[in-house]
Amino acid sequence: MSEIDPAEYQERLDRISDIFAGMVSHAETTTQHRCPYRDRHDHCTALFACRNQQPNQGDLETLICGHDGVFDYRDAWESHPRNQERMQRKIRNIRLKAQHRRSKGEPGIQEP
Amino acid sequence: MEKLSDIANQIIREEIEDFLEQPEEIERNIKLFSRAQPLMQEIAAALIEGDDSEVDLLTRNALESGIDAIEVMDDGLIAGMGIVGIKFRDAFIFVPEVLACARAMKAGMAHLEPILSAAGVEPLGTVIMGTVKGDLHDIGKNLCIMMLRGAGFNVIDLGVDTSADEFIDAVEQHGAPLMGMSALLTTTMPNMGTTIEAFIDADLRDDVQIMVGGAPVTEGFADDMGADGYGKDALACVALAKQLLPINPT
Repeated sequence: MSEIDPAEYQERLDRISDIFAGMVSHAETTTQHRCPYRDRHDHCTALFACRNQQPNQGDLETLICGHDGVFDYRDAWESHPRNQERMQRKIRNIRLKAQHRRSKGEPGIQEP
Repeated sequence: MEKLSDIANQIIREEIEDFLEQPEEIERNIKLFSRAQPLMQEIAAALIEGDDSEVDLLTRNALESGIDAIEVMDDGLIAGMGIVGIKFRDAFIFVPEVLACARAMKAGMAHLEPILSAAGVEPLGTVIMGTVKGDLHDIGKNLCIMMLRGAGFNVIDLGVDTSADEFIDAVEQHGAPLMGMSALLTTTMPNMGTTIEAFIDADLRDDVQIMVGGAPVTEGFADDMGADGYGKDALACVALAKQLLPINPT
């Protein structure tokens, strides 16, 4: 079996990390105007439904991203600040209810 | 001085010719690949194409034939990923292709594990990663996984729509000291809190550090739900993972 010097290996890991860090930073920038789920063939790779998805005439198995790139696609994703507040209350309630339940010695909620 | 025609692999030649534009990058890659063994060029070509099964096969063959692990990394995997980085920067490929290439790299790196283990090099730690129940968004999580693996963590990816039970089972099965949850939707974010509570109910909360992230998540939300840390992006995720785990440098 081939052998490896730990220090040399760490050097390579650092290089890989540098390459990936550059990619992630670039992804942060590009996703402001191009959906990250849109591949180079303009196919949508998302596992969820999006208003910009359109049928691909040549291939019924795939969906095409129909976003025109002019305005921010993220409007379709981001929610109203009021929803954020509602969710914050919900998150706090989850914790409070769980603490209350435990103090009474009741079991946790079973998932279906 | 090396020429493009000195590179044996046609795919690599075409990649350099069609996608590299800056003279110093062209020169550096011609020099690198023209000196690389044909099998290393094949590994790099398969990685650039995001073909994980081919990278898996070729890397195994290379190591079995006695090629040095560092050479496989330098001239195959890292050299190929270097081209991927340039193509992404110059908008020839996008995030889905980058993630496919990262998966291919992981397939190759997996064959180094026994060699690393024999040399006493262990992963920084095992991290369980998943998008929470009800949420099908995975790009952010996948970028985090790419970065974590690149940094030397062993990552178990539970995918999307992950229930609290699935997180618990994975943490128990792999003895993972660290877990990351992602959510992109405001409406699914509370499921992070539900999952953390499920860990308390299962009496496992003290055994695992939990980090959270995703577009709607903030430090405040993370505190409210009782998470151990919040990472605003994939770079922060790695820094947080290192901070939460006691790491012994190799």
